[in-house]
Amino acid sequence: MSYTWQWQLIWDFRQVFVRGVEVTVMLTWWALLIGLGLGLLLGLMRSSRLAVLRWPAAVYIDIFRATPILVQLVWIYYALPILLGLQMGNIVAASVGIGLHAAAYIAEIFRAGIESIDRGQSDAAKSLGMGYGQAMRRIILPQAVRRMVPPFINEFATLMKLTTLGSVLAVNELLHEAENLINNTYRPLEVYTIVAVVFGLMIYPFIWLSQRLERRWKTRG
Amino acid sequence: MSEIPLIQVRGLHKSFGKLEVLRGVSFEVKRGEVMAIIGPSGSGKSTLLRCLNFLEEYQAGEVLFDNTLVGYRDSAAGRRKLDSERNIRRIRARLGMVFQSFNLFPHKTVLENVIEGPVVVKGQPRAEAEAEARTLIARVGLTDKLDTYPSKLSGGQQQRAAIARALAMQPAAMLFDEPTSSLDPELVGEVLEVMQSLAADGMTMVVVTHEMGFARRVADRVMMMDEGEIVELTPPEQIFTKPESPRTAEFLRRVLH
Ligand SMILES: Nc1ncnc2c1ncn2[C@@H]1O[C@H](COP(=O)(O)OP(=O)(O)OP(=O)(O)O)[C@@H](O)[C@H]1O
Ligand SMILES: [Mg+2]
Repeated sequence: MSYTWQWQLIWDFRQVFVRGVEVTVMLTWWALLIGLGLGLLLGLMRSSRLAVLRWPAAVYIDIFRATPILVQLVWIYYALPILLGLQMGNIVAASVGIGLHAAAYIAEIFRAGIESIDRGQSDAAKSLGMGYGQAMRRIILPQAVRRMVPPFINEFATLMKLTTLGSVLAVNELLHEAENLINNTYRPLEVYTIVAVVFGLMIYPFIWLSQRLERRWKTRG
Repeated sequence: MSEIPLIQVRGLHKSFGKLEVLRGVSFEVKRGEVMAIIGPSGSGKSTLLRCLNFLEEYQAGEVLFDNTLVGYRDSAAGRRKLDSERNIRRIRARLGMVFQSFNLFPHKTVLENVIEGPVVVKGQPRAEAEAEARTLIARVGLTDKLDTYPSKLSGGQQQRAAIARALAMQPAAMLFDEPTSSLDPELVGEVLEVMQSLAADGMTMVVVTHEMGFARRVADRVMMMDEGEIVELTPPEQIFTKPESPRTAEFLRRVLH
């Protein structure tokens, strides 16, 4: 039995994929922004000397890492509005949910990166008279960021793939659009193949970039 | 004014948890004086040095730098409070420190390492800081390494760059924590030479070292530490020829084989 691939049909529906990619990129972008900002803050809090900062960050990180993201998304979309009395659109809810989730992992990447820098570096910065902020910005983070790039790209790829969970909130991201298309065309194999290829094309350049950066920084020490 | 010693330490106590590392240390360092600190491993030499610029907090006693209490201030209730970060930083900026493991900033070139303090901490214009940095870098003999990253330098070159970085802040005193201990033997000399020339220029220096030759030649006084206490603090001729304490004699016999 042989299967006849019908690529022409897919090509006719290319606009559907373009729309899906747009929403996926938008979700990724906002989730990333939230994840990075909050993740940096939580990471700094987590490696603070002050227990009042360290504790809340640790609790947040553990909660988000110990519960399924699907539950988090549904909870943020349906339960949070009841508690806070504010209504969020499904795209906003998905961005926020994925962003809050990613923040927990990104915080751990920041913390591990910061703690991987030898204590002598902050000693040297302090002995010159630098404050905490200056030492972080100019000495610790630039070095830590280099070590964080590989795990961070990894997390970025995960995050982009997690945007497909937006479909449970009926967000029209790539997977959701694709599933609608399958319902209309009954061509799941072609459609899923394209979805895989498109995700691959979106994610691979970052993996390539991270490998290049790693190599370049290695030669400069 | 100038008779007041630059560094005064009185009854200094420091513990890490239950471990008492400094048990009542008192001494003074005059302006222009070079003090060497020797003693067995774990006796508290590094900790003492790090208390001087408040890289370590201390529990009792006082450290005065230029007649100012380091790290603390008296609150209205007469109890000691941590000083403001601003004041602590101001004192650190005036005390250069050189570490056993160099601790150069690996993502910056030699020149960038040296201008970092003046530009970031003092807000000096970059061009001016660079001009002064070039002079300092020439002084430690690294002019051909201005744009080199630390990982491409030998240990001796790294340590000389680290000395230039500390000097760039125009410190009133320099603290050295075993600056040659992680160097290959053939590279020790070039670093000691730079330190000796600093001493000759009248820099106030506190040097933790295992280089007894250097201590003997360059130091005005040598402090022997053991178990968190000063065992002996005398001019080098005396400590190396007729040490007062049997502990000093025993230590010197071991390090001089
Ligand atoms: N951050 C720290 N936390 C806990 N204990 C410490 C810390 N730093 C030093 N110590 C302990 O304090 C004691 C004194 O250490 P210190 O580094 O001052 O000794 P030292 O005289 O410099 O020794 P060495 O010659 O090996 O450098 C040691 O027992 C050490 O283990
Ligand atoms: Mg030491």
